[in-house]
Amino acid sequence: MSSPAIRAELISKSYHHYQVLHELSFELEAGTCYALFGPNGAGKTTLLKILATVHRPSGGRLAIMGRDAVADREAVRLQLFLIAHGSHLYDELNAVENLRFALGLRGASPADREIKLALDRVGIGAFADLKTRYFSAGMKKRLAVAKALLVRPPLLLMDEAYASLDEKGIALVNQVIRDATQSGAAVFMTTHDRAKVAEVAHRAGVLRQGTLQELPLEALTTSDALF
Amino acid sequence: MRFFSAIGWIVWKDLLSELRSRESLSSMLFFALAVILIFSFSFSTDEEAVRQLIAGIMWVAFGFTAMIGLGKSFAIELQHDCLEALQINPVPKGAIYLGKLLANLLFIVSVELLLLPLFVIFFNLDILAKLPVLLVIMVSGTLGLSALGTLFSALTVQIRAREVMLPILLLPMAVPVFIGAVEATRGVLGGEPFGFYRPWIDLLLVFDVIFVVVSYWVIEFVLDA
Repeated sequence: MSSPAIRAELISKSYHHYQVLHELSFELEAGTCYALFGPNGAGKTTLLKILATVHRPSGGRLAIMGRDAVADREAVRLQLFLIAHGSHLYDELNAVENLRFALGLRGASPADREIKLALDRVGIGAFADLKTRYFSAGMKKRLAVAKALLVRPPLLLMDEAYASLDEKGIALVNQVIRDATQSGAAVFMTTHDRAKVAEVAHRAGVLRQGTLQELPLEALTTSDALF
Repeated sequence: MRFFSAIGWIVWKDLLSELRSRESLSSMLFFALAVILIFSFSFSTDEEAVRQLIAGIMWVAFGFTAMIGLGKSFAIELQHDCLEALQINPVPKGAIYLGKLLANLLFIVSVELLLLPLFVIFFNLDILAKLPVLLVIMVSGTLGLSALGTLFSALTVQIRAREVMLPILLLPMAVPVFIGAVEATRGVLGGEPFGFYRPWIDLLLVFDVIFVVVSYWVIEFVLDA
C-alpha cells in the first residue's frame, strides 16, 4: 500500500512561548483535495509552511510521500510545490525567465513550447516577454499556477488559493486542482471562499486556536458561519 | 548535475537582474568615484605620498564598494518572498551560496575593472606591465571579500539593521584579506620583484580557500535553520 501524501502526527508549533498549533494529526491521500479554513491568525499559513518545509515543527512527526519532512527535506522538496502569499517572482525578469529560473533550480528545462502552453493556459501568454514588475497581483498568481503546471508536483500546496484572482482565474485554479487530483496528485489549500472550493474539495477542515477539526463537505455550502 | 546547473541559474538570474536594474552598480560607482576624487585632491601635489598610499586607497575603494554590492546580494531575495522560494527549492544550499558568490565576484571585479582606469588617470599610475599580476591580486582579494560577504549577507538578511550589521561582521573578519591585498598591491605598484610580495598573494589564496570552504558548510545552517 502506498504512503499518504501527507501524514502529520501530533504536529505542534510555537513562537516565543506562543503556541500556534497544538498537536495536529491528519492524513491526506493522493488524489485528494483538502481545503483548510480558519479565522485570521488561526495558524493556517504556519501549518502550510510546515508542510512546505519552510518551517520545522516544534514537535510531532511529519511525513510527505512517506519521507520524513525534517530529516529528508531535500527529497521531500522535490515532491511538493508551494503557491504562497508572496509571488516568488523577480521583478527584473520577464514571465518566461521567471519560469525558466524556478524550473531550472529544480533541474527541469522545459521546452519553449511547453512554457508557451502553460502561459496560454493560465491566460497570460500575451505577456510572456513582459517583466513581472509590471504584472498585477492576479497575473502574478496566474504565473505561479503556470509554474505548478510545469512542475506537476505530487503534492500541491496553495495559500489563499483564490486571492487576487478574478472569476476566470478562480475557475482556472479549480480546473488545475481537478486535473491534479485526477492525475493522482494531492492538493492542500487554505482559503476563505467556501462556495468556490466546494466545487473541488474532497475534504475540509477548520483550524481554531491551533487545533484542527474535520468538517463535513455540506458545511461548505451552508450559510452558517464556520468560525 | 543539478548542483552545478543551480549555480549557473543563480549567477544568470543575479547578473541579469543587476544589469537591468543597475541598482547596485550606480551606487557602487558613485561611491568609488567619490573616494578616488577625495584622495586624488588630498594628495595631488605629493607624489611620494601617492606612491606610499595608493595600494591602501585602491583597497578602501574596492572594499567599501564591494560592501555595497554584497549587502544587496541576499536582500533582493526578500522581495516577493523569493528567499522562501530559494529555501524550499530542492537544491543543496551550498549551490545557492556558490552561485551567489560567483555572481558577486564577477560583478565586483567588473566594477573594479571600471575603476582601474580612473586610478591610472587621477594618480598618474603606470600599470600596463604589471596588469596581469595586479588582476590576480584583485580577483583573489575580491574572492576573499565576496566569500565572507556573501555568507554574512545571508546571515543578516532577516535582521532589520542588516545594513549596519554587515560591515560590523565583515570588516573585522576581512582584515587578513585587506592586509594581504594591500601589501601585494603595494609590492606590484612599487615595482618590487615578484618574490618579494608573493607571500602576500599566497596568504590571500589561503584565506580564500578557508573562507569559501567554511562558508559553504555553514550556509546550510544559515539558510535552512
